[in-house]
Amino acid sequence: MTGKNCVAIASDTRMGAQALTVATNQERVFKMNNKTLLGLSGLISDVYTVKQKLDMQVNMYKLRENRDMKPSVFNNMLSSFLYARRFGPYFIEPIVAGLEGPDNKPFISGQDLLGASVFTDDFVVAGTSESELFGTCESFYKPDLEPEELFETIAQCMLAAVDRDCLAGWGGVVHILTPDEHIVKHLKGRHD
Amino acid sequence: MDLLQAPPRGLFRESHGASATRMDMASAAGMGHDQMKFELPGVQHPAEFVSQNFSPGTYEDNGKRLKFSKGTTTLAFIFKGGVIVSVDSRASQGSYIGSQTVKKVIEINPYLLGTMAGGAADCLFWERNLGMQCRMFELRNKERISVAAASKLLANTMNYYKGMGLSMGTMITGWDKRGPQLFYVDNDGTRLKADGDKPFFCVGSGGTYAYGVLDSSYSFDLSDEEAIELGKRAIYHATYRDAYSGGVNNVYLVKETGWTHVFSGDTYHHHDKYSAEREAAANP
Amino acid sequence: MGDGAYSFSLTTFSPTGKLLQIEHALNAVNKRGKTSLGICATNGVVLATSKKVASLVDLTNFQKVNNVTDSIGMVYAGMGPDFRLLLKRARKQAQTYFRQYQDPVPTEQLTRMTAQIMQEFTQQGGVRPFGVSLLIAGFDDDGPQLYQADPSGAFFGWKATAIGQDFVNAKTFLEKRFSDDMELEDAIHTALLTMREGFEGEMTEHNIEIGIIDESRKFRVLTPAEVRDYLDETE
Repeated sequence: MTGKNCVAIASDTRMGAQALTVATNQERVFKMNNKTLLGLSGLISDVYTVKQKLDMQVNMYKLRENRDMKPSVFNNMLSSFLYARRFGPYFIEPIVAGLEGPDNKPFISGQDLLGASVFTDDFVVAGTSESELFGTCESFYKPDLEPEELFETIAQCMLAAVDRDCLAGWGGVVHILTPDEHIVKHLKGRHD
Repeated sequence: MDLLQAPPRGLFRESHGASATRMDMASAAGMGHDQMKFELPGVQHPAEFVSQNFSPGTYEDNGKRLKFSKGTTTLAFIFKGGVIVSVDSRASQGSYIGSQTVKKVIEINPYLLGTMAGGAADCLFWERNLGMQCRMFELRNKERISVAAASKLLANTMNYYKGMGLSMGTMITGWDKRGPQLFYVDNDGTRLKADGDKPFFCVGSGGTYAYGVLDSSYSFDLSDEEAIELGKRAIYHATYRDAYSGGVNNVYLVKETGWTHVFSGDTYHHHDKYSAEREAAANP
Repeated sequence: MGDGAYSFSLTTFSPTGKLLQIEHALNAVNKRGKTSLGICATNGVVLATSKKVASLVDLTNFQKVNNVTDSIGMVYAGMGPDFRLLLKRARKQAQTYFRQYQDPVPTEQLTRMTAQIMQEFTQQGGVRPFGVSLLIAGFDDDGPQLYQADPSGAFFGWKATAIGQDFVNAKTFLEKRFSDDMELEDAIHTALLTMREGFEGEMTEHNIEIGIIDESRKFRVLTPAEVRDYLDETE
């Protein structure tokens, strides 16, 4: 979700196999560099693999070009990375959120498992609660929120949505990115 | 009118098979199911047709078996003080949560309880129908029907419609001349009596987790309070591990004087209690 | 050959620590290659080159300054065919980069990738080093930039530089004329004046070629008419 000079990614913390809840403290949002966050929903082993491979690419880029990868460039790299696995894809749906350029313009995008990107300027959603999240985000989102308000909004959107999804919930986490801060807050949610 | 006198299956099918007839709800509500008419598909083999096309899909195999375990946890057990019935309240449509406040204990009459797992409509309709048949029995025989007989009525109904795609996994409990009673009945026509050293049933997708708690903590000599607590604990742990169970926990206690609804509380609050307990156990 | 016993193999060092084949390649550039030069101004970059060839050659289809991408241009001194291969590779590298990141390749990255190809040709079996030096001009987020890449695979960034036959004199001249606040128009004139220093015969729009890039971040080769205008201005 985008705010005024800030972006946020929220995620639940359930890790399960079908109906079975295996763990309730699963992190799936990562900071790729000072201006880019990555959220990965899907098969947890692929989440880790993709995260590690992207970390490598981001680090190599930084060493080669002596600059941080912009969120939009990261998104495009991720897209070509995923499409390279067109015939044996990683089972993930990524969300990229970051601050772009010297004026820290919010950037968010979502992709499917093959790397098809959608760019929006308000919010993107992915995962099992996708439909529910569309509902809550459409209702609660307002443009140009300050980081604190953005946290409150995205947290309520997430909590309300997962309460209507069997396969998500068991707590949540919100990552907020401002030009000079990366804030992580954990949410208490229903455990059923 | 004989309660158990259902027309032979072949006859029933024959008279409705080729040209479908209307279901007359008015007569269905007022009479036993020997008079009821459900509109059947106008094909050669309606049972096959129905089970192939209209059997309720499940989250796991979308249309194939396992129907009784659709998103639910229900349990009941006999102990020295009577019978405890404890259930969750989640109704799911696929992974979508349709409701968190479903009453899954059906109060058939002041002495009989039924639990709901599987298709909500099937459970609701046939347990209400069972209530009607039980009342008819009382009027005719001037005494209450036994739990064994009541559960048998339901099992017979299930057997009658076997293969037609009904989805129901229920526990019928009550107190009769023989004391506290507990039966399991499902849409396959299965009917099991709870007794012996493991006198309990758990039904639904969260049932395995509930069995885990009951197996490790159950004792016949539990006090009422302990038994209620065990019922709550088993449902909490099932809702915690099973994605398709959750919401409010309802607990009923069946005594000689009939059932009472002893507890109703959101599992959200259970988590604080039980997770604190777990922490304490892990760090003594 | 007079270079001793170590000039037979591309990959054998001489006792003095030199790779003679690379020295020879550099000679192909600086003794035989026509002069090319570049100047990096405050608001753009200019590349200029001499195209003096035998008088009967039809110059209409002879081009030495080329676009690698929209925002990067390249010129050479040395062997034309070698340059065409490098240009082809550089263009492909630039497109590969763009395909992956959907972001134009920075000039420095393109130079690095091209220089890497040149380096590989100094160490591989069955190949010879490229007989060219390159001047690469671009304008990106880091501003206007000018790079030189040599047959050894070494590359440097320059404020102004020259390669090819007359590079020593040209560089001396550039050192005198260059200033840090020089703008593109001024740089173009300086480029032509530098070219004229060592030029035998008359400079015309046909034997001089110029490529420029300004803040529009579009590298383009000037038309003969434009070159004529600049020549007239510097008379």
